[in-house]
Amino acid sequence: MHLDALANLKPKGRETHRLPLLSLATLVALLAATPLVYIGLRALSADAAAWQRLLQARLWLLFRNTILLTAAVTASSSIIGVGLAWLTERSNLPAKSAFRLLLALPLAIPAYIGAIIHLNLMRPRGGVIPKLLENALGITMPAWNPLGFWGATFILTIFTYPYIYLLSAAAFRALNATIEEAARVFGRTPKQTFWFVVLPALRPGLTAGMLLVALDVMAEYGTVALLRYETFTSAIFVQLTGRYDHSAAAVLSGALVALASVILLAELRTYGKGRFTQVESQWRPARAIALGKWHAPALGFVIGVVTASLLIPVTALVVWSMQTLLEVETSASIFRPGVQGFAAHLWNSLWSAGLAAILAAVFSLPVAMASIRSPSRFTRLLLRICQVGYALPGVVIALSLLYIVNRYASFLYATPLVVVLAYVLRHLPQSVRGSEAAFAQIAPSLEEAAYTLGRNSRQTFLRVTLPLAFPGVLAGAALVFLTSLKELPATLLLRPAGFDTLAVRAWIWAGDGFYQQAAPAALALVILAGIPLSFLLRKEELIP
Amino acid sequence: MFPFARFVFFCALGMLLINACGITPTADLPPGDQLEMTTSTPMVSSDASVAGKLVIYSGRSEPLILPVVEAFQAKYPAVEVLLKTGSNSELANALIEEQSNPQADVFISTELFTIQALAQQGALQPYLPMGADKLLAGFSAPDQTWVGLTRRARVILYNTQRVDPQDLPASIFDLTDPKWKGQVASAGSTNGSMQAQIAAMRQLLGEAATEAWLRGLIENKVTFFGGHTDVRKAVGAGEFKLGLVNHYYYHLQQAEGSPVGVIFPDQGEGQIGLITNATAAGIVRGAPNLAAARALLDFLVSREGQKLFAELNYEYPLLEGVELHPAVQPLEDLRLAQFDMAQSIANFQATFDLIEKVGLP
Repeated sequence: MHLDALANLKPKGRETHRLPLLSLATLVALLAATPLVYIGLRALSADAAAWQRLLQARLWLLFRNTILLTAAVTASSSIIGVGLAWLTERSNLPAKSAFRLLLALPLAIPAYIGAIIHLNLMRPRGGVIPKLLENALGITMPAWNPLGFWGATFILTIFTYPYIYLLSAAAFRALNATIEEAARVFGRTPKQTFWFVVLPALRPGLTAGMLLVALDVMAEYGTVALLRYETFTSAIFVQLTGRYDHSAAAVLSGALVALASVILLAELRTYGKGRFTQVESQWRPARAIALGKWHAPALGFVIGVVTASLLIPVTALVVWSMQTLLEVETSASIFRPGVQGFAAHLWNSLWSAGLAAILAAVFSLPVAMASIRSPSRFTRLLLRICQVGYALPGVVIALSLLYIVNRYASFLYATPLVVVLAYVLRHLPQSVRGSEAAFAQIAPSLEEAAYTLGRNSRQTFLRVTLPLAFPGVLAGAALVFLTSLKELPATLLLRPAGFDTLAVRAWIWAGDGFYQQAAPAALALVILAGIPLSFLLRKEELIP
Repeated sequence: MFPFARFVFFCALGMLLINACGITPTADLPPGDQLEMTTSTPMVSSDASVAGKLVIYSGRSEPLILPVVEAFQAKYPAVEVLLKTGSNSELANALIEEQSNPQADVFISTELFTIQALAQQGALQPYLPMGADKLLAGFSAPDQTWVGLTRRARVILYNTQRVDPQDLPASIFDLTDPKWKGQVASAGSTNGSMQAQIAAMRQLLGEAATEAWLRGLIENKVTFFGGHTDVRKAVGAGEFKLGLVNHYYYHLQQAEGSPVGVIFPDQGEGQIGLITNATAAGIVRGAPNLAAARALLDFLVSREGQKLFAELNYEYPLLEGVELHPAVQPLEDLRLAQFDMAQSIANFQATFDLIEKVGLP
């Protein structure tokens, strides 16, 4: 009899909160899909002449440029990322734990800031390093031009490889040594073991990482604009700011989103699938492989990557910031009081990214809950719709918000809240994934126990579910905070007068050619971004 | 390290929740700044009737407008100036987008085409600033929707250590000469002054000759930067031998101690003459802070404002009796290109199409 009562209680308790939950989740998905639908409609309704003109002149070139860069960066950052992960997880490289941290930290540096620094240092003739060599040694450096395709590939590679590095390092660590040992016992060489056993086991994580890098490269604006390599995003930006007719921008956005959607669909296929199951209790770490004669080159490779992606940018920012601080006039112009002052920029960055993180986390809750607690074709669809932000670059979000908000919510127009909304729409997928993973780990029996003890669904959510899911939800929010801090194009296009963030400041100063003035803002941005990053790395136990 | 990071993170979130509750559209000042404003002592000759906010959209880049804005603020301490800088067309786009919901009070442009296009779209309202009758004629809108501020000339900057004086180019058409291949820097197609130069050349020489010139620049591997500061610094550092800039960038770079010289091109018989352009300001139709906007325009064309442009930025003031910076060559000594401004303005869309057609970066 007791059991019957239990059985009756369970569906009742869940039924009561299913409908509001589903409607909330639907609302969030609708919000997430709005820019996509809008861009699709605008691109299709653009007059035939705009399509014709673009098809003839630009579209193919932009497709080619964008795909080339995406493929090159994805390939090179995969090779570097997996290589580094193997070295820090499987080899007898010295100081492995220090390198693990150093190799992950470039995630705190926005690629466009890295590009500004490397460009300023390396520019042929005018760059700091070529000039130094010329003055000190009388050597004229062969002009390695950091502009264009190779420069953009280099910069984007050294600032996006950490995604792949972190995912591969986690996979290497999770992989049970016994599997490799079994391969060795059956006569495979270490090389064969790597190619036929280790790499396939890495595949799910690696594929997901590669596709995320690809989406990131497609959305990148600052770096390609600065290094003058024209892709869809920079072409859209020029159309948006230079022309009075936005139909060409809409057409280009439609094409870019279509391209990104293909990649996103591929990513969604791999996401959450194809995990290799292992028996936890037998897990033990693999034995480190001695590098032998490769020791020095491997160490040189790791140090080289750390130098290019972390040491050089941070050193340059620190040195320039010091120079700025020492110049009384310059530092007075930067650290002035009021909305044009440094404190205001810092504060704007903090609160807009922070609010975006909180909103994204709150929005992610119903979607994640619904997909875990009442899984159905419909909730899975909602979950997927909430991932479209990955395929919507900042310029595209800005274009759609510019219109939608001005037409239908003009009271929001030209307020910082539009900027926050852009962050939320763009980065919602990250918090949805974080929350979904968090809810998936909570056994339904815990909630059911709360129901049997007489708690209603609200109490159960607040007292049981949310506290258990909180670390995961927070991790998603931290990621939103990190990426919103670094966001540039949507902020540039949507910010009201007097609302400058650190990212915008660094970009404008550097765009005007004032690199020293830009440095304190860029340095503050990197330090701020380091806070959520260190939280994430610790949560994933990637650093001690 | 971790507990500290978490502590900072939560502090930030807490502060931001407090902040978010009291959001007002454009003012998100840290508390310290409000304090600063109440304690600052008012300057002489302040006008107490002008107060509140003033939103400026400026195509003049920040370093070229901030000193003037600061002088204005010193005069009107009760006005809180909010500045948004960007390219002329970017801001003009925003103004058109905002016509039904105006956000800005004043638009400042680095050339006349964009501001006239805005006036034609009905995005500006007429206002004749105090003392505007003493401005040089021909640089203001007949319907008073905008007023000219300063003039600048398009010149060639060169590095004196890298260019032999015998070799100096005399015309902007020399920039397409293969002997300067890869040695020339310029601002790109998003820059207002460059756009205006192309519009003027279309008027002077026609579409075909202008297109040939642009293609010549691209073929000659001219490097196009986003703005002129990069150009002047690159030429100053010797990275490029020549740069196509506005005249004051020569003075700004020279003030930094670089070995640079300036050429006023096309002065010979049969050549097109020196291309000049003007900066201008207008009040946005439906400006939320009209009194402050008018005060700013009055200030910009006043002796004090014009002197700031002339002294700090080496521009040619439009107000009679304001002296040029002593280092700047007077325009009276030069042969100027003669073109019909109104017609160039009318054909501005064609200029954009040409830029697109040749694929100017």
